[in-house]
Amino acid sequence: MTNDASTNGLARTGRHGRAGAHSRRAQMTTQLSQALPTLEVDEMPSQLGSPVITFDHVTKVYPAQPNKPALNDVSLQIYAGEFLFLVGHSGSGKSTFIRLLTREIKPTSGKIYVADEDLSAMKNWRVPYLRRNIGCVFQDFKLLPNKTVYENVAFALQVIGKNKHVIKTQVPEVLRLVGLADKLNKYPDQLSGGEQQRVSIARAIVNRPPLLICDEPTGNLDPQTSRGIMDLLERINRTGTTVLIATHDREMVDNMRRRVIALDRGRLMRDQDRGVYGSDV
Amino acid sequence: MSSLGYFFKESLQGFTRNLSTALGSIVTIFLSLMIIGVFMVGAVMIDSMVSSVEDEVSITAYVADDADQASIDALSATIAGYEGVASVGFTTKDEALEAFSQTASSDILESLDGVNPLPASIDVELSDPQLVEQIAAQIEANETFRAICDNPADPAESLKYGQETVGKLFQLTKYVRYIAVALIGLLVFIALVFINNTIRLAIMARRKEIAIMRLVGASNGFIRGPFLMEGALHAILGAGLAVGALQLMRMYAIPRVASALPFLAFDVSGTAYLMIYGILVGAGLVLGLLGSAFAMRRYLKV
Repeated sequence: MTNDASTNGLARTGRHGRAGAHSRRAQMTTQLSQALPTLEVDEMPSQLGSPVITFDHVTKVYPAQPNKPALNDVSLQIYAGEFLFLVGHSGSGKSTFIRLLTREIKPTSGKIYVADEDLSAMKNWRVPYLRRNIGCVFQDFKLLPNKTVYENVAFALQVIGKNKHVIKTQVPEVLRLVGLADKLNKYPDQLSGGEQQRVSIARAIVNRPPLLICDEPTGNLDPQTSRGIMDLLERINRTGTTVLIATHDREMVDNMRRRVIALDRGRLMRDQDRGVYGSDV
Repeated sequence: MSSLGYFFKESLQGFTRNLSTALGSIVTIFLSLMIIGVFMVGAVMIDSMVSSVEDEVSITAYVADDADQASIDALSATIAGYEGVASVGFTTKDEALEAFSQTASSDILESLDGVNPLPASIDVELSDPQLVEQIAAQIEANETFRAICDNPADPAESLKYGQETVGKLFQLTKYVRYIAVALIGLLVFIALVFINNTIRLAIMARRKEIAIMRLVGASNGFIRGPFLMEGALHAILGAGLAVGALQLMRMYAIPRVASALPFLAFDVSGTAYLMIYGILVGAGLVLGLLGSAFAMRRYLKV
């Protein structure tokens, strides 16, 4: 299983090299993949271009635990339009992975590129502009209880300085997309968990970010509601948005048969197209 | 512009959310600014007093009761020859008593029992106030003056001139200034602590919103805006109260004190007041922004 995973990972980097990426790093991995036996994957997702996210030997060590890296030498690429799962136990490094992507923390070593921009070299004042391109959805929804559904979604546009006209057209549209067109004026505590998560997804995508990150989006929901949320995320993915989902939900991962990245104690254990949750995590 | 409106709305909300701490910071800003203002008005008054005293500089040389008229005339002539002297006059004992009786109460005059304790004097008017010390020294060194002066043991004692008043005023202003600086420093510190605390509470109250703002990529300026606005708003309110209090003092308190102490100059020009008010509002703004900046540095991660 582990062997299969590593060859699969290499096939992926080789594919990146053929995609004609210009960096020397890509060339090196191409040479590396030529030196090693590769496994051709016959069915590849069609929308591959240059990677939107690149982790290049990323290690993150928190000062509190100097001997136990939260992420240990992780290298991977994520392409535009992909739909992928990030799986692993608690403490496997999933949250660290996500926090690195949104530049809440910086890697101890290694480089992270999001849309060709080096996050470790990014100036602090540019970080908000990075986050405008990354929608985030969390297990606990993070809705404002004193604002209505409409206001919660509008808030995300308001605070990045969008004008009233944009807000008035985009907010109802995105709420229709998530299926809440009739609940605009409800407050979060008047909604079910699934509906609240839909509001938080609407807020994450209202600015039309190319990347949507979901941290345990169905962690608080029953299986049927979870299914609905996953359908919605797939629909969003079909519009071209790259969707990354960190999850514990074995059944969901196994059903969807999408790319799976498995982390275990900070190490990248498996990177598999059309994968399953697996027994190694 | 719409974000300015948003900041304003949010900062008003912070105001009602923590009314007591907001009032605390406003009152401390008000008190510190008012005291700064009072000291500034006082400084302007003392300045104008000093210059009015300086303008009227004259030297009075008291002579002994038994001085003969010839010596007095000779001395007057000598003094009139000094550089910077405009005119030299003479006040007899009787004239001195009469001048005194106009300012003093009749009780004191009666208690004198017909005896005149006041000395006669040579009055020297100066054309150049800057030379007052030099001319006083010349008179003091004059042999004739030493012989006929009111107090031969210490001729300097028999010379009175405005510079002494000026010196005393300066002495006074020096101490007042020390006290003012210490007091203002303390009050500014307290005001900063209060604003810091108010803004900290406002940040705590909006923690969830701030987290979401960071999440969806609100710029740092946008996240900080409402707190800076809140600090500035408190400061402006405090400064407004201080300006109001000073204006009341100017309209009601100062005229009363001035009529009670007619010999001191209390008039401060309207432009001076306007300038002081402007400085107070500016200082208040700096205080408010600084206080919220401190709080944001410590409690607001962006």
